[in-house]
Amino acid sequence: MKSLYVAVLLLAASGLVMSAEEDSSSQAKLLVSKQIFNKYLVEDMDIVLKYSIYNVGSSAAVNVALKDSSFPADSFTVVGGSLELNVDRIPPGANVSHVVVVRPRKPGYFNFSSAEVNYLPSDEAKQPQYAVSSEPGEGGIIAFRDFDKKFSPHVLDWAFFAVMTLPCLLIPFLLWWSSKSKYEALVKGGKKEKST
Amino acid sequence: MEKLFCLLAVLSLAGLSAASSACTKPEVSAQSYTTPDATILTNIGFVAEFTLTCGNGIQNPPLFAELGGKTQPVARIGANKYQVSWVEDVKKARRGDYTINIYDEENYAALRKAIRNNEDISTVKPLAAVVLNYPGAYQGPWVNSEFMAFALSIAVWYAAFSAKSKLLA
Amino acid sequence: MSNKSKAFTREEELLLQDFSRNVSTKSSALFYGNAFIVSAIPIWLFWRIHMIDLYSSLISFVVVTLISTYLVAFAYKNTKFVLKHKVAVKREDAVTREMTKKLAEDKKMSKKEKDERILWKKNEVADYEATTFSIFYNNALFLAIVIFASFYVLKSFTPAFNYILSVGVAGGLLALLSTGTQ
Repeated sequence: MKSLYVAVLLLAASGLVMSAEEDSSSQAKLLVSKQIFNKYLVEDMDIVLKYSIYNVGSSAAVNVALKDSSFPADSFTVVGGSLELNVDRIPPGANVSHVVVVRPRKPGYFNFSSAEVNYLPSDEAKQPQYAVSSEPGEGGIIAFRDFDKKFSPHVLDWAFFAVMTLPCLLIPFLLWWSSKSKYEALVKGGKKEKST
Repeated sequence: MEKLFCLLAVLSLAGLSAASSACTKPEVSAQSYTTPDATILTNIGFVAEFTLTCGNGIQNPPLFAELGGKTQPVARIGANKYQVSWVEDVKKARRGDYTINIYDEENYAALRKAIRNNEDISTVKPLAAVVLNYPGAYQGPWVNSEFMAFALSIAVWYAAFSAKSKLLA
Repeated sequence: MSNKSKAFTREEELLLQDFSRNVSTKSSALFYGNAFIVSAIPIWLFWRIHMIDLYSSLISFVVVTLISTYLVAFAYKNTKFVLKHKVAVKREDAVTREMTKKLAEDKKMSKKEKDERILWKKNEVADYEATTFSIFYNNALFLAIVIFASFYVLKSFTPAFNYILSVGVAGGLLALLSTGTQ
């Protein structure tokens, strides 16, 4: 868990373009990561996105506004959460995580790009800082039909298959079984008669 | 860019004025979203959205959330509308109700103090509480259906085969 | 009694063989009808689960189903032939007892005619049991092979190719195994 946390931080740092001037005085510095928690990306199925904002500076970040405009409305539906958020204050050392669930409307390759963040690096600052989150990168969204073929249990289809195959197996079996048990009973009955 | 800057300034003013007085008679109406189908996910997304209405008409107060002893600032996603969200490993995610305690700046400070002093945090009364229910998510069938079909067909064939060997014996 | 009945007389043998080699039109229709149904059923699996394209594979459906029908019917016949003798031996005792009881009242019937009746009944019972069991056994084996081949062995092939191969192989294997045993 800890290593994951570090990895996330590194990821966030590597994907980050900071516009902050290297001012050593008390300033907030935000690292933003954008992660996807999916094994597969599938048309019409959930994609879980998590934005983590870490304040690694020495002062609280004020009026933090995050906006992800990388999901065009004609290709994605937001089913949970908001792609735009504001946080009044993020104290130094604190982090805010924010989860959004979207569903892609169509299959194909999609480049998951970064979210934008604006904030004031301190209470006194007048110049807003601009930062972008890490980019999850390009991902292939599988057509639902292809996904369904691979992963659906097809319970109903199998059930119907069973219904079709049952007479093919059951009818000859029962006919054979009834004749077999009839004559076997006859033999046994006969033996009993003989022995008594 | 200039427009955005203006917007930020307005928001900051709103934030400052809100911080000056506490929210009274809070009312929350919440809605939540958790992933129903987790077959393609590594983590379940928990999203609780709620609208806060203060009896004294305070707009957009900054809020903090506490869940399971962890605190973080609450993200505001609209006018008086907030979102608390997190992810949890699909395997570890617990079903049932998750109670998220919402604090404003005043009782959040008290909460921090209680945590620092290792006191029971339930003594600090939250502003409001939001309950998120996670009914569980579909994680795929426990046994692959084609394997089931295959196993069944083999079982039937085996029964037939042993009957046949008995006949031929 | 049971020891003696194990061996058939030459006449009995001839009669039994004669009956099993010349498959009557009725049982032939039964075999081909059954073989056709069981050969056509996998199309459902390929359509619904393997997502085969129905229209472009129409010709292969027809051809493969017909070939498989022939092979499965061939397997039915062979298995039945192998089984019939064994069943006849197993049922001899019971059938003789049943028929003697039935024919006991008929005083007019000659000993020879009674024996013929018994023999005829023996043949009928053996034929019936061997036929029904052969259909049951081969159907079970065919379906098991189709499922195993299409979902495990040939999973990575295209559905059309998978269909032709798995149903074809199942039919072929059935025919082969039916000649192989005994």
